[in-house]
Amino acid sequence: MATFLLIRLLRWSVGLLLILLITYAMMYYGAGDPIRMMFIQGEDFDTEDEVVMLALRKKYGLDEPFLAQFGNYMNNLLQGDWGRSIRIEVDRPVLDIVRFRLPISMQLGIAATVIGAVVGIALGVWAALYHNRLLDRLIVSIVLFVNGIPSFVILPMLLLLLVLQLKLIDVPYGWNGLFHIDSALPVAVIAIGVLPIIVRQTRSAMLEVKSQQYVTTARAKGVPESRIILRHMLRPVLTPVVTALGLIMIGLVNGSLFVEYILNIRGFGLLTIEGIKKVDYPIIMAVAVVGTLIIFVSNFLVDIIYPILDPRVRAQ
Amino acid sequence: MSESAPGGKISRVVADGINSGEQRSLWQDASRRFRRNWLAVGGLVVVFCFLVIALVGPHISPYDFLEQNIFHAFQGPSEEHFLGTDDLGRDVFSRMLHGARTAALVAFFTTAISLLIGVLVGAWAGISGGRADEFLMWISDLIQAMPGLLLVILINTTLRRPIINAFDTLYMQTRNPFYLNTLWLDYVLVFSALALIGWPGLARLVRGQVLSINEEDYVLAARAIGASEVHIMLRHVIPNALGPLVVAVTASMGGAVTLEAGLSFLGIGIQPPNASWGSMLEEGRRYWQIFPHLILIPAVTIGIVQVAFVFLGDGLNDALDPRRNT
Repeated sequence: MATFLLIRLLRWSVGLLLILLITYAMMYYGAGDPIRMMFIQGEDFDTEDEVVMLALRKKYGLDEPFLAQFGNYMNNLLQGDWGRSIRIEVDRPVLDIVRFRLPISMQLGIAATVIGAVVGIALGVWAALYHNRLLDRLIVSIVLFVNGIPSFVILPMLLLLLVLQLKLIDVPYGWNGLFHIDSALPVAVIAIGVLPIIVRQTRSAMLEVKSQQYVTTARAKGVPESRIILRHMLRPVLTPVVTALGLIMIGLVNGSLFVEYILNIRGFGLLTIEGIKKVDYPIIMAVAVVGTLIIFVSNFLVDIIYPILDPRVRAQ
Repeated sequence: MSESAPGGKISRVVADGINSGEQRSLWQDASRRFRRNWLAVGGLVVVFCFLVIALVGPHISPYDFLEQNIFHAFQGPSEEHFLGTDDLGRDVFSRMLHGARTAALVAFFTTAISLLIGVLVGAWAGISGGRADEFLMWISDLIQAMPGLLLVILINTTLRRPIINAFDTLYMQTRNPFYLNTLWLDYVLVFSALALIGWPGLARLVRGQVLSINEEDYVLAARAIGASEVHIMLRHVIPNALGPLVVAVTASMGGAVTLEAGLSFLGIGIQPPNASWGSMLEEGRRYWQIFPHLILIPAVTIGIVQVAFVFLGDGLNDALDPRRNT
């Protein structure tokens, strides 16, 4: 197990380095010079002053050739210095910005995953218990239907319905904490994205477990039905669901992006879009680092949790 | 199955009794199962309509999708403008028809490219095994480990400018009018980027199919009686892998339509003046409280097409995998 994890870690480190190199190369050769863009877009300065531009470039270390720049960046990163934002929040340390913004997206994502998982497992179990009956078909069809609609379509439709038609809520705007009424809509929309995967996994795992002999045995012994479902059936069902949760964490990196963009929640997803639109090198690199790390860590966690939940995997 | 074989007639009679009809091929069976699922049939009809509209839509559109008329801006649905007009007085219906072509183009090319790369790489990895297999799967793992949307956004924002610059230089040198028009570049960038993150999934699928089918007893038997590898590939592996591949292709097309709309929604994918459902959604978003029809029309359309793709894919999955439905 230890060697297995070590090899994985080594592979991922090489992978991360490659991903960062590619990202930096794309910024450097493709996106262009953020300092010149400050002047062209006319937000920060009025005239193109070569002397000022040169000084600014020197300040952010952008006057050096590609490999030197990338080497400097990696060197600083390994020492915990993520650089300073060039254009989004001028001169603020990137690590500060990430520390401020990532928890917002995380809170949204985790709240949505918990709600999606609880509702999803319940619906999945329910559907499996009524296998091939009307209720099962209804749940499966609705879940399939919801699965098809992207978040940037659901959210505007819900806004039209709840704000314009029913006048139930005001337009949610920005971030006011997880337990503020404005967070209800974004959490709900992200949870809707989580739901279908959980329901499907739970239902199919449950169907498999239902016909197992130990379930029949328990029933023959006279164990109450609710106890059979909770103790005997649910545990093996949770294993594939945990795998799905790993996938969901990966999806959330993308999923909350549209929600944050539409409702102007200043989380990590919005930071991604802002950073790319303003060619803020250190921000984009930070987004790449954090995004990749989230994926690696959730893969890693699934690998660890899986054998704990399923003794059969541990034995191998 | 030859009729003259001893016992052939009897087993045929028995089989007829069970099936109460003549023998059906795997595909006939699948199509029967598919037709029984009315959600999937509905999905197929909608997807078919979507593709037809993408093909002929721009030719039957009542107005030019770029034609602006500022005096007719923000009109609701009327006899003149079937779905109303947008902030610049452009006919929404004509723009939706053009957006269908954009979505279908991106879906088609994304799927075609990722299918080509995915099948080649997957088959190569599955057949050769060993070092080549490990290396190819490491690359596909790496691409899948990258935040997909970030990669697509990066490609779209960073590669656009250098290519346009290069085309400008080429035009200056050659005066070839081909280099003057870069409107198609958005499409190429979007579907190349989507194909780049799309092929690893297909490669994994193909590799898995090749490996598992190669282990089947009938393939071992074929190999034992001296069938060539090419014969095994054409006769056993490809027909068996076709079912899952058809399902994956449907999912890939649906996914490409969503992602294209999403990118254009963020203002990163298809740029104006080209029309895309995603960019129409974004334009409508600015006025959603006053003119909700501008956001409702593209939103409902994207939703319907997506749901249709999902129902179709699910139906195909059930129909092509007999083990699931017994």
